[in-house]
Amino acid sequence: MLAKPRMNLRPVIEAAIGFTVILLAWEYGTALLRIPSYVLPVPSAILRRFRETAAVQAQHLGATATTTLAGLALALVVGVLLALAVIYIRPLKAIVLPVLAAFNSIPKIAIAPLFIIWFGLGMESKILLAFLLSLFPIFVNSVTGMGEIEPDVLDLARLAGGTAWRIFVKVRLMNAIPYITDALKVAFPLALVGSIVGEFIGGNYGVGYLILSGQFNLDTPLVFACLLTITLFTSAAIGLVVLAEWFFLAWRPSRRVR
Amino acid sequence: MTTPTPAVRIEGLHKRFDTAVAVEELTFDVGENEFLALVGPSGCGKSTALRIMAGLVPATRGAVFVRGRKVGGPIQDVGMVFQSPILLPWRTALSNVLFTAEMRGKRQAEYRERALALIRLASLDGFEARYPHELSGGMQQRVAICRALLLDPSLLLMDEPFGALDIMTREKMGFELLKIWTATRTTVVFVTHSITEAVLLSDTIVVMTARPGRAKAVIRVDLPRPRDVGTLRDPRFAELAAQVRDNIEAQWVE
Repeated sequence: MLAKPRMNLRPVIEAAIGFTVILLAWEYGTALLRIPSYVLPVPSAILRRFRETAAVQAQHLGATATTTLAGLALALVVGVLLALAVIYIRPLKAIVLPVLAAFNSIPKIAIAPLFIIWFGLGMESKILLAFLLSLFPIFVNSVTGMGEIEPDVLDLARLAGGTAWRIFVKVRLMNAIPYITDALKVAFPLALVGSIVGEFIGGNYGVGYLILSGQFNLDTPLVFACLLTITLFTSAAIGLVVLAEWFFLAWRPSRRVR
Repeated sequence: MTTPTPAVRIEGLHKRFDTAVAVEELTFDVGENEFLALVGPSGCGKSTALRIMAGLVPATRGAVFVRGRKVGGPIQDVGMVFQSPILLPWRTALSNVLFTAEMRGKRQAEYRERALALIRLASLDGFEARYPHELSGGMQQRVAICRALLLDPSLLLMDEPFGALDIMTREKMGFELLKIWTATRTTVVFVTHSITEAVLLSDTIVVMTARPGRAKAVIRVDLPRPRDVGTLRDPRFAELAAQVRDNIEAQWVE
């Protein structure tokens, strides 16, 4: 039976208490230990700076969000298509998988400067960095999700007259969807890393750029305010994926009531 | 019950995998609307023979004819039930039953009535909207049987369909299948290693030898239909079961 989401407030309350304790310790502990504000600003100062710079934050987040989501979307399309190619064209698997695995072992941040040289200081380099970082988890999960179908299911589909297209749409793709949403939860923060690193290296917009300017001016509260922005953005995005899973993947056995 | 043109004719079937011979010189007929059980020890090539009949696996030598036509690839007029239900977890019971229709490129709506009728026949009414993980093993397998029967195939192949179920459920499933079969009268080839199941359900039992599998004996089950729990207490039931058992045990001596 699928249960109506019963509100169990206990974990929420526990988390809230823990969080409050940490914030209070931070707020009053730093004063007690005489830690200067440019090293570790107190939460209230961060919040104040966050509110002061809200408009600027939003503007720069807009740029970062655009390149992150564009890179992620590109990774989703390319990752799924690449997985398709690997599944349907057998010999490709032997070529594509090792190449991608080898490529994935390179710290991709290290090639970010190259991307600036190749694609300039504009959005392109950031989008491509976001794409590159988030491609691998999406590809790997797509291969698993579309490839790991019980042979008996495929036999059954063929006996019923299933064409390759029908089997792809109604079996492989459907089977892959939860794998892909799982991959998105991992890939999103990676895409964000790509965007922000791109902004660190070149350009004059984006949350990464804002962090750098905070650093130059020793405006540590601004740096923290930027981190808060990024955190909120990531939480919102992953929250959306989880929400979509809750609505559309009701059949997942993990939803079983224990 | 064998009619002049059998529904299925298996002629000198041979199947070799690399080094091992799985099936050798297997020959038998399945009559129209007949329920035939293939019985034999594990690994005697029963399942392989069934897959060859469906056209999923090519034979090394020999041939299978379904209604006179030689099988040379996955044949469409066949329903298949495997040992595990292999339902699609993202589909409800009803939608899983309709899967075969969709694979054939038919609209769900066209087959909805028939799917619901089959679900009722399989005593699954009220469970149409449930997902597989909400159903018991026996219920899942009944959904798989409905799915196999949806397109009204002229041949139903069942590969140890109750093999993964516990004994009590298994016995109940036997009677459920009797009920469904009585209503549809589809020609069935049923692979099992349960002698009781074979005698209870079938018109004809083909006992196969251990690897390589050949047809060792063909036993006509002359128990009256409809059969029910009482059939199990029929003295003739015990005789037939003993006859099947003797044929299997004779192999141990050889």
